[in-house]
Amino acid sequence: MTTTAALSNTLFNVAFGLYLVAMIAAFFRLAFTRVRADGVQASTTAGQRVGLVGTALVGAGFLVHLGSVVTRAMAAGRVPWGNMYEYGSAIALVVVGAALVLVQRRYPHLMGFIIAGALLMMTTSLLLFTEAGPLVPALESYWLQIHVSAMMFSSSVFIIAFVATALYLVKDRAERKVAMSTAFGGSTVGAAQVTAPPAGESDIVGRVAGDDLEEAEFASPTAQRDALNPLLFPVIPFVVVLTFVLLVWRAPLAAMIAASAVALIGSGVWYAIPHLPPAAKLDNLAYRTTAFAFPLITFGIMCGAIWAEEAWGRYWGWDPKETGSFVTWTLYAAYLHSRSTHGWRGRRAAWVGVVAFAALMITYYAVNLFVVGLHSYAGV
Amino acid sequence: MTDTLPPQADLPDGSAAASRPPGPRLPLIPGPIETAGLLWRRLRRMSTALMLLFGLSVATLLATFIPQEPVIASTVRLWRDGTEGPGETVARVFDALSLFDVFGSWWFAALTVLLFVSLTGCLIPRWRAFARNVRRPAARGGNLGRLTHHVTFDRPDGDDAAVLDRVDRVFRLYRTQRVTSRGGQAQLAVERGHWRELGSLVFHTSFYLLLIGVTLGAAFSFTGQIDIVEGRSFADTPLGYQSQTAGRLWDTDRHDARVTTIEDFEVTYLDGDNSFVADEFVSTVTFTPTDGGEPVTREIRVNHPTHFEGLTYYQRAFGFAPRITLRSGLDGGELYSTNLILRTDANGLWTARDKISQGSSDPDRPLPQIGIEVFFLPDAEFGPDGGIVFNSPEPNDPRLLVTIYSADDLGLDRPVPVSQLSWPQSAIIDQAMITPGQSVPFASGLFQVEMDTDIAMWTGLQVSHQPYRWLLLTAASLTLMGLVPSLYAYRRRLWVEVHDDHVVLAGVAQHRKSQFVEEFDTLTGRVGDALGTRPRPAPVASPTQTSTPRQTPGSPA
Ligand code: HEM
Repeated sequence: MTTTAALSNTLFNVAFGLYLVAMIAAFFRLAFTRVRADGVQASTTAGQRVGLVGTALVGAGFLVHLGSVVTRAMAAGRVPWGNMYEYGSAIALVVVGAALVLVQRRYPHLMGFIIAGALLMMTTSLLLFTEAGPLVPALESYWLQIHVSAMMFSSSVFIIAFVATALYLVKDRAERKVAMSTAFGGSTVGAAQVTAPPAGESDIVGRVAGDDLEEAEFASPTAQRDALNPLLFPVIPFVVVLTFVLLVWRAPLAAMIAASAVALIGSGVWYAIPHLPPAAKLDNLAYRTTAFAFPLITFGIMCGAIWAEEAWGRYWGWDPKETGSFVTWTLYAAYLHSRSTHGWRGRRAAWVGVVAFAALMITYYAVNLFVVGLHSYAGV
Repeated sequence: MTDTLPPQADLPDGSAAASRPPGPRLPLIPGPIETAGLLWRRLRRMSTALMLLFGLSVATLLATFIPQEPVIASTVRLWRDGTEGPGETVARVFDALSLFDVFGSWWFAALTVLLFVSLTGCLIPRWRAFARNVRRPAARGGNLGRLTHHVTFDRPDGDDAAVLDRVDRVFRLYRTQRVTSRGGQAQLAVERGHWRELGSLVFHTSFYLLLIGVTLGAAFSFTGQIDIVEGRSFADTPLGYQSQTAGRLWDTDRHDARVTTIEDFEVTYLDGDNSFVADEFVSTVTFTPTDGGEPVTREIRVNHPTHFEGLTYYQRAFGFAPRITLRSGLDGGELYSTNLILRTDANGLWTARDKISQGSSDPDRPLPQIGIEVFFLPDAEFGPDGGIVFNSPEPNDPRLLVTIYSADDLGLDRPVPVSQLSWPQSAIIDQAMITPGQSVPFASGLFQVEMDTDIAMWTGLQVSHQPYRWLLLTAASLTLMGLVPSLYAYRRRLWVEVHDDHVVLAGVAQHRKSQFVEEFDTLTGRVGDALGTRPRPAPVASPTQTSTPRQTPGSPA
């Protein structure tokens, strides 16, 4: 292994560490933030300081990670996403980069969850580690590089979209439950709550009349959290990830660790419910990121077809990887449709988004790792 | 933007209700026309399109995990035998449902047809409405003061037209029209964002082109494969290929019998840890046209196919093709001589099997069948534990293990490729390791087996004719070009209305409403600059109105 390749690996580990601490800082800040009924959030001084440190750490982590990807490219003498290790690392990099641009300022409390996604991505890519090396000739193509880049960027943005969608589903449920209980509690606050979803950021203040505010302030912040069963939050992600990792890698230890990590994040989600942006904003973020990634994945699939035509003399052969990306594409198209279909908007559409993301992950991991096809030699 | 379908009552085919006979309402059994009308309307619904998309995803998902016969037939065979996969019974169920060939199944075809019918049903009214809307100039607005987004400016000097002239510049890139409001005020009606609907229409319509391109391309296509040894030639004739697939409308007269000669084949390997990975493999070929044209020499590489007069040549595979000769031990006469096409397994061992003699079942003069099996080691040695250690993929120290089989039935008369047969140990008559240039006696001198000094290579080429690719590329470009505006263009309508002592700017956003807040602020600034006046402070009641408009979850914002 060359020194550049070794440097790349070191930088990867450093970035991983920085992200980890940054994630913890992000959750720490969340814990030191109080939410009032009208949605205004106030961090304590400690919380603010930790938050600042967290932001600095993500930024630093991003730069170090970028360094890792660049040195990897230098060591291998080609674009740094030629195998699954590199691909996973690059995806995590783009996730963090996109989050720094899109999310950091407006929804700082989402950062912890997005960094968690990037960390999971990096962990799986470590499991698939391959030394830096050149590619077999079938993979040395102009179109392939464009194809893989487009797929990588779109997958990264879909990850952010998924985080927003999943959190939307949680927040929306909490909001509706609280609205219901206040409505049936018989107070006049209830009526206000039902029609007006809780306001979001600090710039929209004072929508609730003074005397209602007192009562709402009392009820709202923890009410949203208490409305949902805290047990489900660690358990569901645990089961899902455990099954997935066991099926794909058959590695019980790795499965347990990954599942425990997501269970922890799941509990974090439960704790964070009152801090999350209002459901409508999360939904909006999910839509906008998906709308960004969808043309990109469309373009990526097209480039893949052009490459297949050059390499194998057929543009589409329903090879498992091609089939998988087609499923993903159709499901995201269905997501975009469902948002314009009566009776599908909101929750149902979000579920379609979750399923589409599952298809993306299955296509990426499962198909690469255990279904055979022409693409599989590109993988591990 | 939500349901773009016109209300049901407007549909020209909404005749079911009208044809209902007068009198008491009995449960009506719909006739064929009513049923068709009902189905048509159902297909046009957005939720139906959604269901069809889900259906498509489920079908494709199944095809991801169930091996597909056209892709990996060998695995499908194993599933059917029950040696792999979930078992014979399940495989039979899969077969009944065509799950081993999802994309060739009737139900997948039906799904596609339904999707396109539904698409047609959606698109016709949308195109019509779009054609109507673009031609219609921006319409006047009423009650501007009650819109969420509105501001009031002081009126500058000049008559109504002069005031509107000033703001024209701001809306240069928009569609505008001067109108008179219901109250009699001069109004500039502004509109933008038709790109969104146009993009969406182009995007959806491009699928027809894609379908046409795929269908035509498949119908007129031809693909042939050939594995051929350096120095040899093959002719482009209907029987010139080892395997081929052709579309229904492929015209066999298009084979023009051109001769392709493999001049040379070269392979280079990577260095270091990857020294067994082929870096590059290149066939140099000469095309000799039959019409008397000049021969042309070209290189064919992986990822760099060569086009020559309507056909495309792809580099597909390669391997060793040592020449083996069998001579009679009695008179040295040549019994068999061929370049064996060797294929490699995952372990780096090259093998081939071939027929030497078909034998004879003639009762008077029965002759046994004779077959040859070889293992080729380009550069390897045997380790202490009997395993093989490969030093290099290149033939630095070539050795060939030759085994001759003979039996009454080696299966050589069966219509199965010889490479797929397996012969029993008991049929072995002799076995020996030979090196290039060596001649080794077999079966106590009954034969001599030789290998040529020069180890030839074979190259696997794919020869394709794939017409109508330009249709596919056009369709794909249209898909993208339509998709981007359909997601990123936003529809907005704005009005500037001139009153006696003030000017009102008001606007409505149909999409991405949250962003319109900022857009409207910018426009307010620019209109103010154009008018040369400042906006009046908003009346007390308005903060609630001008604050961020609430979003209904789900509306594309
Ligand atoms: C071939 C499969 C189809 C694909 C891949 C597809 C994909 C898409 C995409 C990506 C959008 C953009 C979403 C947006 O603008 O927010 C869209 C919009 C739309 N599609 Fe499709 N579509 C398909 C079939 C259909 C069919 C069969 C219908 C008829 C019911 C239909 C009706 C619509 C409508 C009305 C919109 C506009 C929605 C809006 O502007 O919000 N699509 N489609």
